[in-house]
Amino acid sequence: MTKSSRRLLGLLIFGALAGVWFYLASLLWRTSVPGNLKLPKVDMSALVGAGELHQAQHFTLISDLFALCGLFLPIIVLAVYAKYGHRFISESAAGPIGTGMLLAMLGLAIVWISMAVPGLAQLWWYRKHGIVSTGYVSWIFGSWLGLIPVFEQICLTILIVMGFARLLRDRWWLAAVPVFVGVLTLFVFITPYEIPLQQIYGHPQLKAAEGRIAKREGVAKIPMRVENVGTMTSAPNAFTTGLGPSRRVVLWDTILDGRFSESQLEVVVAHELGHQKHNHLWKDIGWYGLFVLPIAFFIARWTRRRGGMAVPLAVPLFLFLWFALQTAITPLNNAYSRRLEAEADWTALQATNDPQAAKSLFVNFVSTTSEDPNPPAWDVMLFGTHPSEEQRIAMVEAWQAQNGG
Amino acid sequence: MDDLRRSRLTVFFRPLLCIPHLIWIYLWGAVVGIVFILNWLVALIIGRPAKPFQRFNAAFLRYTTTVLSFLFLIANPFPGFTGEPGSYPIELEVPTTPEKQNRLKTFFRLFLVYPALAVAGALLYVTYFVTFLAWWAAMITGRMPRGFRDLGANAIRYIEQGYAFALLVTGSYPCASPYVGMALGMPVVAATPAAMEAPPAAVEAPAAAEQPAAPEAPEAPSET
Repeated sequence: MTKSSRRLLGLLIFGALAGVWFYLASLLWRTSVPGNLKLPKVDMSALVGAGELHQAQHFTLISDLFALCGLFLPIIVLAVYAKYGHRFISESAAGPIGTGMLLAMLGLAIVWISMAVPGLAQLWWYRKHGIVSTGYVSWIFGSWLGLIPVFEQICLTILIVMGFARLLRDRWWLAAVPVFVGVLTLFVFITPYEIPLQQIYGHPQLKAAEGRIAKREGVAKIPMRVENVGTMTSAPNAFTTGLGPSRRVVLWDTILDGRFSESQLEVVVAHELGHQKHNHLWKDIGWYGLFVLPIAFFIARWTRRRGGMAVPLAVPLFLFLWFALQTAITPLNNAYSRRLEAEADWTALQATNDPQAAKSLFVNFVSTTSEDPNPPAWDVMLFGTHPSEEQRIAMVEAWQAQNGG
Repeated sequence: MDDLRRSRLTVFFRPLLCIPHLIWIYLWGAVVGIVFILNWLVALIIGRPAKPFQRFNAAFLRYTTTVLSFLFLIANPFPGFTGEPGSYPIELEVPTTPEKQNRLKTFFRLFLVYPALAVAGALLYVTYFVTFLAWWAAMITGRMPRGFRDLGANAIRYIEQGYAFALLVTGSYPCASPYVGMALGMPVVAATPAAMEAPPAAVEAPAAAEQPAAPEAPEAPSET
């Protein structure tokens, strides 16, 4: 086979794989929200009041500045670390993988140090607006301890990457990606057992409604639990986690403190069950797998000049690329997340058939979180994992129009 | 070789940097528990532990010594995961070939070791306190105070001796004296004169610089 025909064959294989990749991505991208749905314009100042709207916009703008810091400062720090981090090799008496783990942990430790001041400023801002009540000292100590799972994850990542790199050299990514996906699946499965969850006391109407909604959405009854966070934050939240038998719908105690009506809570529960109905957690895992594949491939290529991932010298560069590439795809990940959230909203509307409750819930979210109901496009792109409250209310109105409400 | 210099960055995050090691100790320790039972039965039958088990347990003890040394700031570098001899400034010297052991002592081993482990537990608390003080000292000066380092090393030596006895790696009972293996009356950092008998499982330090005649210095941590 000549060199040009080999190149052609390589291009054909690459094209075919890229085609399969895009096809799979398009399958995951699809949702049950009607494609022709026209979202009407919503006058948020009429719903929440001009003063509150202005306050929310101001709060979000400053919060976003801190969030921008949190997004890009680690990349800058890791870029510097990629250049000089190898100096810490002298701090290790371990073998290549152990030294790689040390370098990765130290890189993230330096990121933590660099984030301390912006983190404290953000805490001050949230405390000022009554969103969180955590003290400064407990925040520092808590976030220091918060490095434990971060270090566990990065050490596991380094173990997988360097372990396979020592066996397969530059083809480590072929073996590592399925392992990453497997590990993520395992973590999603065990998450409900790791979070301290409690039974929900009271709220008989909500408990009865959960069974009814689950039946209407066609999902098996999933245990509903509460997570107590009220001592740290006043922000309301709910989420669903787990796979198969470990599935749970989790409500923060802050959403059950009386600020939300029973009918609004039913919409929340219907939304979370909607995630389970459409297998969003499985889709999330699939989406992660689709993106971690090219990321790992490019990292394998770009770390070659440091000797490849079999040697610890490449770890600081790996760390930088790993975080930089994941940050680079954040807008796409957020867009995907917003689609799934919109689908869960749509499913909740179908199941509860109560657009007024949904609308008042989203208005209530603006008051209780102080977040801008219609943030600027860059904010949505970088931080918007959910549709804005304005978009959610517009969807309710579109649903009403479609269903003659 | 330990020059008492400590990296402030690794000192600040020292307990967190031990996380992969603590997970590994947990996993390895679970296997050591099973091996102990098998080894105990073997030692009761043939009068000495099995060679593969001896090597396995010895490696585990060497490994935990390096991790404890790192955690308690007694040594500076990040330790390896295999417990390989000669890989760390502070090292445990353990017999890798099994020695003959009294069957009666073997049968009652867990009861016999209990007082030693109680002392080891008390020493561990002392070490926590000393490490807390040493952490501040190392953060401010970038160096580990020698007295703290030596006290910690001696505590680890006793703790590891206790576990070596418990795991049948040695038949000798732990010795709490920091002077065993050294000339009496000498400071803890002194090297071991050959005339003194070294304890069966001892934390080995780099050769002492301050004591001129220092042949075979396996016990006390000392500075070069």
